[in-house]
This record gives sequence, C-alpha cells and structure tokens, in this order.
Amino acid sequence: MPDTMLNMTVNGRKVAKPINGQYRLLDFLREEVHLTGAKEGCGAGECGTCSVFVDGKLVKSCLMPTAKADGAEIQTVEGLAGRGELTALQQAFHKTGASQCGYCIPGMVMAATSALRENPYADIEEIKERLGGNICRCTGYTKIFEAVELARDVMNGRLPATALDPDGAGESYIGNNVRRLDAPSKVSGALKYAGDMVMQDMLHMQVLRSPHPHARIVSIDTSAAEALEGVECVITHKDVPGKDGFGVFVHDQPVMARDKVRYVGEAVAAVSAETHEIARRALALIKVEYEELPGVFDPEEAMQPGAVVVHDYAQDNVVKHIPIRKGDVEAGFAAADIIVENSYSTQQVEHAYLEPEAGLAYVDHDGVVTVVSPSQNITHHRHMLSTIIDKPINKVRFIMSPVGGGFGGKEDMIYQGMLALTAMKTGRPVRLVFTREESILSTAKRHPSRVTYKMGLKNDGRITAVSFRMISDGGAYGMSTEGVMRKAAILSLGPYDLANVEIDTYGIYTNNTPSGAFRTFGAMQAQFATESHLDICAEKLGLDPFEIRRRNMMKIGSLTHTQQKLETVSIAEVLETAEAFCRWETGAPTSRGATRTDLGGPDTRASCTLGARFRQIVDDKKQEVA
Amino acid sequence: MARRARGRGMAASWYGIARTATIDRAGAWVEMDDGGTAKVVTGVTEIGEGILTVLAQIAAEELGVRPEDVTIGDNDTARSPEAAHAGATRQTYMIGNSVAIACRDARVKLDRELADHWQVDAGTIKAFDGEIWAEGTNKRMTVEEAIDLCKKRGVVPVGSGSFTAHGTGLDPVDGSGAPWQAYVFGCQVAEVEVDTLTGEVQVLGMWAVHDVGRAINPRGVEGQIEGGIVQGLGQALMEDYQLDKGHTTTHGFAKYILPTSLDIPQINTKLVEDRDPRSPLGAKGIGEPALVPTAPAIMNAIYDAIGVRITSLPATPEAILKALEEKEAAALQMTG
Repeated sequence: MPDTMLNMTVNGRKVAKPINGQYRLLDFLREEVHLTGAKEGCGAGECGTCSVFVDGKLVKSCLMPTAKADGAEIQTVEGLAGRGELTALQQAFHKTGASQCGYCIPGMVMAATSALRENPYADIEEIKERLGGNICRCTGYTKIFEAVELARDVMNGRLPATALDPDGAGESYIGNNVRRLDAPSKVSGALKYAGDMVMQDMLHMQVLRSPHPHARIVSIDTSAAEALEGVECVITHKDVPGKDGFGVFVHDQPVMARDKVRYVGEAVAAVSAETHEIARRALALIKVEYEELPGVFDPEEAMQPGAVVVHDYAQDNVVKHIPIRKGDVEAGFAAADIIVENSYSTQQVEHAYLEPEAGLAYVDHDGVVTVVSPSQNITHHRHMLSTIIDKPINKVRFIMSPVGGGFGGKEDMIYQGMLALTAMKTGRPVRLVFTREESILSTAKRHPSRVTYKMGLKNDGRITAVSFRMISDGGAYGMSTEGVMRKAAILSLGPYDLANVEIDTYGIYTNNTPSGAFRTFGAMQAQFATESHLDICAEKLGLDPFEIRRRNMMKIGSLTHTQQKLETVSIAEVLETAEAFCRWETGAPTSRGATRTDLGGPDTRASCTLGARFRQIVDDKKQEVA
Repeated sequence: MARRARGRGMAASWYGIARTATIDRAGAWVEMDDGGTAKVVTGVTEIGEGILTVLAQIAAEELGVRPEDVTIGDNDTARSPEAAHAGATRQTYMIGNSVAIACRDARVKLDRELADHWQVDAGTIKAFDGEIWAEGTNKRMTVEEAIDLCKKRGVVPVGSGSFTAHGTGLDPVDGSGAPWQAYVFGCQVAEVEVDTLTGEVQVLGMWAVHDVGRAINPRGVEGQIEGGIVQGLGQALMEDYQLDKGHTTTHGFAKYILPTSLDIPQINTKLVEDRDPRSPLGAKGIGEPALVPTAPAIMNAIYDAIGVRITSLPATPEAILKALEEKEAAALQMTG
C-alpha cells in the first residue's frame, strides 16, 4: 500500500512528505520534519511538553493523528520567532529565570503564547488556568507566572520593551541575577536532549521487562526475535563480557536479569532494530520461561526470620542499618517531665522529571565505547561500565547530555549498559528512549519510610532524650539505599542540640520497585517526623512552635548527633527571620486557625476558584450589552 | 466549624553540603582565551539548577570577563577532569570552588606577564567586566588586549583547580563522625485552607527562609526554593506511587498526580547568607535543603486549621475526610 502523502505548512514552510510510519503528529514533526522542540513527556496528553499550534489552536501533538494534520498550518516553538531571535515571551522567560531543566519549557512557552493570544490582558488567575495542562517539575511555576505577566505587560504596552533587558553588571558578578546562559536554547526549543539526538545508521532499542515481581528465569529464547527482518541484535545477560553488576553503593544489579528477576519492570533482554516499530514487534517474539517465586512486599515482613530472601548475599534482607548513639538515652528519658511517642510514615514518590530516560551509544574510530545520556554521575558510571564490559577506563567514555530533570533519579546506571553492549556487538550507534510508563515502572523512587519516635522533654521544652527508628523499603536492588539510610540517620533529629540520642535506620530489600536517590536523600522523610513531633510536644507543653525549637536549637560549638563540633550555625537567625517575615502570631499550636489574626495577608494568594477564563468572557459580554 | 478552615504551621530543617561521610573532590581546567573570552572545563553539566550560569559568573568574577564570554565544557569523561556527580547539593560548593581556584591559577600567569610589562606589583592588578588595570596607576587595557600581550610573551594563561571537602566516615557502632564540613539551616511556614466538605487542602502561602551561604545568583536560588517547595507540596498532598504485590497501579500522570499551576501557593523567599569559612567562595547550597521542611510545615498548618494531625503522607482529600470523621467519632464518644 502506498504511504499516505501529507501536505502541510510548518513554521511558514511547505512540507510534502509521506507519513512513513509516524502516525502521531509529534513523531512526524520530530522524526520526519526534524523539529525536536516539541518533546514527548508522557505520550498521553497529560503533561503538555508536546504542545504545538495547529491552525492557530493549541494542540497536544502526541494525541493528534498525523493524517488529521493534512493541509493544516502548523507552528512549533522553533517557529515563534525569527532565526536567532526570541519573542517577547521567550525573552521574559529568559529574564525571570523561568526555565530550569528546560524540558517542559517549549510546551510551556506554547501554552503561554496561546494564553496571551487568546487574551492579551489575561490576569494571573486566567494565566494559571491556561497553563493548567502543562506540567513543570523543576521551577515551582512561580518564575513562569512572573515571565508570562511581564511579557503580557510588555506586549500590551503597559510596560516598555526595556523591561525585558538584563540587569546591569553592578560591581560584581557574584550575588548578581545574571540571566541563565542556557535559557535562549531552552525557550526556543534548540537544545538537544539525548532523545532528540540522531546518528547516521542508528539502531533503535526496545527493552523486554519482567512481568513478575520475583521469578527464576528458566530459559530465554531469542531466536524468533533475531530472525525478524530488520532486527540487528538481541542481547541478554549472556552478552556481558566482564563482571556484571552496578549500583551506587553495592553492585548488586546485573545489566539484564541473570538467574532471576526481582521486580516488575526489571530488564531481561534488549532488541535493537532498524526502526522503533520493528524493535517493538521483536520484543513479543522473545520467549522467556519463568518459574514464579513467592515475593516479599513489606519491609517489616522482609525483616522477619524465614522471610523470602531477595538476594543470597543478604539473608536477612538488610541492605544497610545505620546506628547512631550519643549520651545516655535511658537517663535522658528518666529525667524527662513528659514522654511523647508517635509514629509517622511517608510514601514512595516518583521523580517525574519531564524527560524520560534516553541515551545513545557508539564505538568510536579508536574503539572507545561511548555512551551519551543524561547521567547524573558520569564519573562513577564509567568505572562501573569499564568493569562490566572488561575494558580499560580510557576505552570507556561517558558524555553527559543535557538533563531534563534528575532529582537523583538519573544517578542509577539502569540502561547505559545495554546500550554499550549493543554498540559493541553491532558496531552501530544505538538509541533507547523510554516511554513514560517504562520510566515510572522501572526506575527508582523516593524511599518510603516508617518512623517510630519517642521524645522526652522537660516542662520548659528542653529535650532530654530521643529514640528514633526508621524502616525503609529499598525495593529489589541496593541502588542508593545505603547512602540514603546514612543521610537520613545523620540528619534525622533536626538542627537541635541533643545530649542523648539513639537513632537506627534500616534499608530493606523487597520485591517492590527499587528505591533510590531522590532530592534530600532520606532527610525529608526523617525530618518530617521530627518536625511533626515537635509541634505535638509544643502543644502538650503550651509552647509556641518557634519557641520550642529555639529552646533546643544548635549553637556555635554544639555537638551534632554524630558528635561533630559546629563552627558556624545560622538556625537562630533563620528562625528569627522567618518568624518576622511571615508576621507569625505567637501561640501554642492548639489548632487555633479559626482565631488567628495573621492569615490572608498580601503575601498569600486567593483561594482557587476555577473558571477564570469563562468569567472573563461573561464580563466581556456584559460590557457589550452595556 | 466553617466549611473552609484556614491555619498556619512551621517547620525547621538542616542539611549537609556535598557528599556524605567521605572525601569529596572536584577538578576544573581554565583557559583565558582569545577575544577576551574564557574556557572552563569540568566533568558535570546542568541538571536544571543553573550551575552553568553560576560557574560562568564565578569565572567571570575571577578572570575579569563577562559571564557571556565564558564557554563551559565538556561534561565528558574523556575530555574533562573528574567532577563526580550532579547531586548531593554539591555543584556550587564543589565545582564552583574548583572553578574559582582554577581561575585564580590562570590569573596568576596573566597578571605576572602584565605586571612585568607595566612594571607594577602583580598584587595591584585588578580586572572586572572585560577591563584590567593596575590600582593606583593609569595603566589599564581590555582583558582581550592583556591575553594577547600575555600570549605574545610566550605564555598561554591556563589554570587548573581541585577542591576538596573533607568528611569522615561514621563509626560503625555509635555513628560518630564529621560527615560534612558545611551545613545549612532553613525554616518554612505554610498557610493552608482546608475544605472540610471535600477534604481538599490548598496551600495559599509559603514563607521560606534558608541559609545558603553566599548566594552567587539570588534569583537562581529562589528558583531552587520554589521548585523544592512545590515538590514538597506534591509529596505532602497528592503524589503517591502505589504498588499491588509489586505491580504498580500508578503508571502514568493520569494516576500519579503532580502539582500543576493551579496548586501553587504564593512563595515568599528570604535568604540568610552565613558564609562558609572553609572555602574560597563562601557559598554553600540549596538544591535539596529547599524541600525538607515543606511537608511538615503543611501538616502542622492542617492541624492548626482543622485539628487533625496527618502523620502518614500524603494528606489526600480522602485522608483528610477520614481523619475528620475519626475526630468527630472520638468527640462523640467523649460526650456520649
């Protein structure tokens, strides 16, 4: 059947091309028209990174069939301004620092452009509503709002164009709000992330993943997949020439599952083919025989004698236990006027960086195995890969591509090994781009936690002793669990000068999705418990929350929980500044919200009510009638 | 109780800067280049936090050029010195100081040639924003001219820097040790509104005060704080990766709920700049510390508003309604 020919106008230029298997407008624009400003963040119309204009309407191009765009006029982020230029809105994003990792930014710029085209006088409520279909994981949206309001006012003439100019050098470049140097490339869609990169003769990889949380691999038959036309190679653990194993602290995870799978989504085999589509079809032809094993899904169950063992080397399923002891806890509790006990828990959290994992690998002219990926730790990854592929360090090269959000989630070398092995086996460049579902399924999460807390205090609020125990589900592989347990333990009890403490953190293996590095590395889970607990104690003692913290805070010369003497401590200044800054009304935390007088100030936003867009239209109609 | 109840809560926090309980280190190379430009080479890149701009500011300040004159490469294990990982709130502290040291090394070479040319003491030479001069004299030229002069005298002004943060491992029995050489402290206050009919919590205001050491780019620091708060808010109120016997039930953004533009409080930020005494720049860091106090501040605010304490995150509408029901049941039992 002849391929459907399409005629469309893209950024003012006529495009006449066959669909060539790119059935979604997003793929067609990226793969056939070579415009990679529109990104795939979710493939389901939920994140907005793929937003483009079709005949002037903002459209999520991952949801639009390519054939439907025949005859349409399309504008992408690359076409908003002339070459080398930025629109007022893009300049405003640059000025306010509205881009961080930049991956959501082309879509955000498109949505904001649409908002101001629809209503050049849109107020902040309407702007927020019109950006509601675009997710940003880095910025907290605040600088984006500032940018859109600035651009609106420049575009509608309320502010002069000079409002978009950079601040001057002043007397120093330190302490200066220098505009981000990478912002122009991000607001214009010019920056290439790993998934945007192509190489000549490049293969496309797809990964077969475990459907079972715990199973023995009886056999893997790749012959039918290898026989499929267009398949270049299939790799399994048998293709690993060196010592197989990676991890941030313990190297307990094979590049692909070896004798058994330990979680749903673990890589088992990888197919590389001439097209993405062929590679996907080949996956279905790989036959893996599994013998399902009982799994363990709760860390406290996994700690019981006789529990299912996840890794032979750790018969007790303990990845890491970190103990901290200081002073005499029993004496401290005996000296207390009150003892307060409680327990706390936090959930597993997904990093949700807008850029799903992606990478390219090739073997260069000197035989150097090169991996280009948004790795957060190229130094450590090259050490591990060198052992895995049994090559000297200078024959392994890692290049860190722009990272479209990391937050710790891209510290694990979970796919770069497969890319390197395929490049070595085929001699061809190969690219792998995760789908959102694959990213969520197979990559590490924030450690969930269960904390048991016991605190003794004097009536004046001074803490006499603390006992803190945290159990965390580390999931199927070690990844960063050891470090997370260490940091959680060290920082657990907060910035307080405590004489008697007993801290234990445990990271435990289970057959759940692994937990790994995530912004704060265990500190937020632990300090969530401490800071909640202090408020409970403050209420019992009739103390203001700032006051109970002040009575216990560290000072210069204090010994930390690990008995380190501090040379400089700013917590007193921080507390004092915060209390004044938010106009805090002093009082014990007795759920006195109804009677507070410090609420609803000019430094808060209005309570959200939907419908700002429609309100505007109603107002306009009223004006017309009048 | 009124349907919509408001309240406030606070939480404090602390954090250690750079890698934990180990000897952290990072290297950088610098060349003062033709045209008054500069090359900085180090082994990590941007993960969104703004490190490239921060390094360019540091290099500009140390070399006397403008940030836009600085080119940063190469993020490549085969072409650049080790800088280890982009995480642990270590980039500004570790790489920033290593770049500062490398720049100073290059400047020593440039200034030595210029001092000899001008017949002044090298210590009197200052440079800023593309100009270089000897203080107390009328001797002055552009940095571009100075680099050209230096090269014509046979010297390429290059420098290298290595910065170390000394941490010690923890004792395996009592955990004693000095895991970091720099600590930061923070405090956040949350103001919330709880809809007691739907259980929905809106965060209307956040006040964030953080010690970051010397702030290199205050607007960038604010951006980190705003982003950290919104991630903390997501974990506090809605995000929940769920598993059923090892199988996820939250495999896309339709099920895994993230904060969007309509969930964002007004975020008010103030920086405390308690300079680090152990490093050339005096900067510390903010990437991770920004989200540590957010969730407990919000939970404390919910308690202030409606008198229920959520100890298990996230405080979804369902969790809030359940807690309110339990509170009512307990109150009935007391009176009954």
